[in-house]
Amino acid sequence: MSTPARTSGPAAAEPAQGRGWRPAVRALVSVAILWHLAAVVLAPLSMPSTILGDHLRPVFQPYLSATYLDHGYKFFAPDPGPSHLIKYELTMADGSKQKGVLPDPVEDRPRLFYHRHFMLSEFINNLPPELPPPPSRPGEPMPELDWVKLKPSLVQRQFSLSYANHLLKKFGASSVTLVLEEHLIPPPERVAEGQPLNHSSMYRQRTLGTFTGERP
Amino acid sequence: VNLVGDYFRELYRAALAGWNRFWFTPSDVATLAMVRIFAGAMLLYTHAVWTIGLDDFFGANSWISPEAARALQPDDNFVWSYFWLIRSPAALWAAHIAALVVFALLTVGLFTRFMSVLAFLISVAYVNRVPSAQFGLDQINVMLAMYLMIGPSGAAYSLDRLWARRRQGRGGQIAPPSVSANLAIRLIQVHMCVIYFFAGIAKLQGETWWMGDALWGAVANLEYQTLDVTWLAKWPILLALITHLTVFWEMSFCVLVWPRLTRPLVLALAVPLHLGIAFCMGMITFGLVMLIGCLSFVSPALVRRLIERRGESLDAAAGQGRAGADKLAETLPLTALASRKQRDARFAAPRKPGG
Repeated sequence: MSTPARTSGPAAAEPAQGRGWRPAVRALVSVAILWHLAAVVLAPLSMPSTILGDHLRPVFQPYLSATYLDHGYKFFAPDPGPSHLIKYELTMADGSKQKGVLPDPVEDRPRLFYHRHFMLSEFINNLPPELPPPPSRPGEPMPELDWVKLKPSLVQRQFSLSYANHLLKKFGASSVTLVLEEHLIPPPERVAEGQPLNHSSMYRQRTLGTFTGERP
Repeated sequence: VNLVGDYFRELYRAALAGWNRFWFTPSDVATLAMVRIFAGAMLLYTHAVWTIGLDDFFGANSWISPEAARALQPDDNFVWSYFWLIRSPAALWAAHIAALVVFALLTVGLFTRFMSVLAFLISVAYVNRVPSAQFGLDQINVMLAMYLMIGPSGAAYSLDRLWARRRQGRGGQIAPPSVSANLAIRLIQVHMCVIYFFAGIAKLQGETWWMGDALWGAVANLEYQTLDVTWLAKWPILLALITHLTVFWEMSFCVLVWPRLTRPLVLALAVPLHLGIAFCMGMITFGLVMLIGCLSFVSPALVRRLIERRGESLDAAAGQGRAGADKLAETLPLTALASRKQRDARFAAPRKPGG
């Protein structure tokens, strides 16, 4: 049996004389490579949950966390969805109102800075909401979730409070109301017929809360 | 029984030899050095942008309070950031400016190895402080910073190299091939394969990627949109074709990027894909950082040919011995198609004395 066919890269060449690593060093580094690559593969393999991933995750979690390797790499997956914005209304001490939006395409420049703010609002939406109680009878299907009526979970409330506190202190306001807005994507047929992407029918909202700086 | 035993012995020997060739063959540092320049510049720009909103994102009253950030992973004590310890605005600005200096020094290659370690630690500290403001860009930034620690990325195209050459008084010599340079590049390459593979198979869980209208969902998202290509609405077949091609490309990247013949095609397709994301969806930094990761697949010889005006890199490598020259020649996937004969002629030519 012959050796495997060569592909490309340094693998195709013989090691330069005298410049290779000693076998003991290679063995040690090989173990480190295997550990590292197992962690790199395990992270996306367990997002969402898998039997193998869930079983092995506790072993690798400290390494994944410490090195910021714990990612699913699910770019634009499973589907490119609607975008989410946070609209806020500040009530100032004199009773006047100020409105703003997160992200703000005019204020948040350059584009990367806009994107940082965009992620703040997307993040709130991506956090798991408070789910309704499971059906009382076994086998009964879960009720369909209505995005507009979803209630914020504890971690969503913590992040909403954090954003609210930032706005209150930055603008010196007495209270702030945060509204999560979902911008749906119209089907191509309707856009081809002339409907604009920002048609009013493409938006829906739900209130995250009104905050005065106190804990929820 | 002997036949089976022979098979497994042969398999073991071949696998071991292949493993050693793949990971531990000394490699020219040119590709790693090029990745360092681009990744360093991206790290510098990415973190320089934080300057605009440093207090808003990292200050005492930032968007993300420490309590909120820690609420994400309450039982995970390994998510760390030195920003938790910074209280005063002066210290925050000092830390930020120091971080920018580190990234700048990494880019130009001064005290490179030390700077690469600092760059990794700094970039992790930043992302862990602002968990709800990060996205794919940060994942690739940190990944590249991590692997730059491993190899001698400052051994070419750097102030370190310039300094060493002046000190040695041996202008024209290139840095010797390095096992750790190869290791770093291999890790980037394999990690890129993992990223694309999982990005691809995750899309198969989505209805729109399967049906073929996912690309529409990307280009018709007004909040992302920087270039209006919604005229594609009238070309559903084209939308479906690009959608399916994207999934196929991502899933097959980990296989087709290795053979010499398919590598140029696979890498060439990365350019319109990522530049499309960059310019149509306004994610310029993300599109570019993915391309920086893809640069790890460009052979050192081609890097030297592109960067060095005199085009003497192969001759210089030949001056280090036939093994080095052959190795560089074998790492020419992007030029192999066009210049195989030229390459053979080059290596058949008499070498410099001492070669």
